[in-house]
Amino acid sequence: MEEEKNTQSEENESEEIRVGVYVCHCGGNISDVVDTKAVVEALKKNPNVKIAKDFVFMCSDPGQKLIIDDIIENNINRIVVSACSPTLHETTFRKALTRAGLNPYLYEHVNIREQDSWVHKGENEAATAKAIRLTAAGVEKIARQDPLEPIVVNAEGHVVVIGGGVAGMRAALALIKRGLGVTLIEKGDRLGGRALELDRVYPTEEKASDIVSQLENAVRAEKIDVRLNCEIELIEGFVGNFDVQIRGKDSKIDKVRAGAIVLATGFDHYQPYEGEFGYGKSPIVVTLPEFNKLIADMPQSDKFTYKGKDIKNLAFIHCVGSRQMEGVHQPQADGRVNDYCSRVCCTATLHTINKTLDKFPNLNIFDLYKDIRTYGHGHEDYYEKASKRGVTFFRYTDDSIPEYAPSSNGSGATLTMKDVLTWNEEVSIPADMIVLATGMVPRDISNLVGMLKLPTGTDRFLQEVHPKLRPVELANNGIMIAGTCQGPMDITESCAAAGASAAKVSILLSKKTIEMDPYVARVDEAKCDGCKLCLAECEYKGALFMAESYAHVNPALCVGCGACVAVCPPRAINIAGWTLDQFDGMIDAISMEELEPATVPA
Amino acid sequence: MGDHNNMKILLITTMISSYPGANTVGQAHLHYSPGTYIIRVPDPVVFPESFYMRCYEKGIDGIIIMSSGSDCPYEGAYRRLSERVARVYVQMKENGIDPSRLKLTTICTVCKAAFLKEINEMQKNILQARADKEGVAA
Repeated sequence: MEEEKNTQSEENESEEIRVGVYVCHCGGNISDVVDTKAVVEALKKNPNVKIAKDFVFMCSDPGQKLIIDDIIENNINRIVVSACSPTLHETTFRKALTRAGLNPYLYEHVNIREQDSWVHKGENEAATAKAIRLTAAGVEKIARQDPLEPIVVNAEGHVVVIGGGVAGMRAALALIKRGLGVTLIEKGDRLGGRALELDRVYPTEEKASDIVSQLENAVRAEKIDVRLNCEIELIEGFVGNFDVQIRGKDSKIDKVRAGAIVLATGFDHYQPYEGEFGYGKSPIVVTLPEFNKLIADMPQSDKFTYKGKDIKNLAFIHCVGSRQMEGVHQPQADGRVNDYCSRVCCTATLHTINKTLDKFPNLNIFDLYKDIRTYGHGHEDYYEKASKRGVTFFRYTDDSIPEYAPSSNGSGATLTMKDVLTWNEEVSIPADMIVLATGMVPRDISNLVGMLKLPTGTDRFLQEVHPKLRPVELANNGIMIAGTCQGPMDITESCAAAGASAAKVSILLSKKTIEMDPYVARVDEAKCDGCKLCLAECEYKGALFMAESYAHVNPALCVGCGACVAVCPPRAINIAGWTLDQFDGMIDAISMEELEPATVPA
Repeated sequence: MGDHNNMKILLITTMISSYPGANTVGQAHLHYSPGTYIIRVPDPVVFPESFYMRCYEKGIDGIIIMSSGSDCPYEGAYRRLSERVARVYVQMKENGIDPSRLKLTTICTVCKAAFLKEINEMQKNILQARADKEGVAA
């Protein structure tokens, strides 16, 4: 196996590497287990390390002053701090470097608390050896580190919001109130989206039409640029500078420049296939949205009449099109089943059941469920209320999904299943009408997904970077998500997501320029032989391209995934700050034996 | 424990998912072998096949790639990573390295039990591979 030469880049080759190493006690959190003085003494043997110190709290003002003084007085030009997790204090120390006049990216943070002292209690010697190797790895990495500068791009103070439903309108209003220009694009002929289909909504029992009207009035009052009957023709550019081409009803193309994009493209209802619980074959089988529409304008009555027939027994079936299992359920068009929980349908179904009983108190209602998942605040009340009003619940499993059998005269049906609540007793439930609680499925936005290379999850909804840490951002810089394009959620959650997206965009576009981390691909043109292998690996249009016989990177479009790096034989392309040479250096340090604590003076 | 401390396991973690996951294990003060070394990367897809082979050559006993799996935010990255790992397995076999010393798995920010399980399993695999090489039962 050939050994790659691990050298710093030509950029810093002429500079003497002078690393300062600082080991934190964290007030005993680290030093009770790790012998911090032994770590310091071991690191002093490293030829690149000019200063090594330990201190009780490196993050304190005196701790940071140690670093600043050494940079200024001892010409230290690389810093390694071995302490807690970098998620806590990496920024703290980068700022300290800036105050000392050093490039903030010439800094490496080594985690010897969460990933060493806290998980190796009672094994002090081994934990110390590990801290030495990890710190040495940090030194090897930073010794190969070039100074980096944040990527700066001009930022257009305008946002395009795609989708004029509740989430889109909420996002647009929040953005314009923060001083940004907004263009709101809706492909339908009016604002409101799926909320227009609803009657009253839980948990406030407001009329959905009132919510839509209030929002629409506010949008009009704020003079937001609303484009109805419009679709996206093309989006080009990058964060801060998107060029959005909008095609109107007359096929005329209009262009809008935007610094960021908010996707609020919504969802579709699951459409049962013909024959699924009798749907499409029998008129008595309808979906929950269809049923809600049906009863919305019906007056209160002793009798519920549907298609000229008195309905006495009404059955609801949960999880239709959701939580499907391979081999049990019919796959979707792409060959996959909808194995996700659609979240909102349990509460929506129970809300409808109570609403139905308000209007038709004499109905017998049967509720056939797999699990009741009323997860929101106050949602369980709908279940309690339905139980007290005499709704009969049956619980089925995937082994015993209710079987639909039409009655001989075609006017009703029987649902047969094994009921978990009665120890798997087989029950036959008479139904004059059946309501299928269908879930949400992702809307077909394949044009946008393909155009922008948007990430989608296994559920085919748009996928955020991280559900907890970055819940409304896509990996694509400058593109946020709001509402049900991300996954099933109710109006309250959609509005919260819209607010979060607007806040993220506002921060991003708060200045005339955007500063981004420099951790994107970078090409060493002297090493690049123009083989183009990297181009085939890049999923992001315009991020990587050939010019003048070598590869070029558009840093505003590159997401820094590194897919291109692995295929470059001469290592001409790397992620800045995370180069393969740096990783090789780290592995060398982790592998080496000579810095064992036993060799360290007491 | 002694045998476990004599091995070096490299955990390749993602900055957005499994690295915070490793921190979660630490915050819970759960114990695992000090012979484990965690490095963080934007995405493990960055590493070519030669990186893994070099790790083994340098003395790393086992590598666990703690990826984001199908939740990876980078388009096409997980597919490329799994295809690459498959090619690494081939090279490992060709070079007489037990393939059980490499594992591609998925770990999220809260996967404490899975994180520990993967380390324990890798330790067993390494011991078994050593025993197989020496021709004795582990």
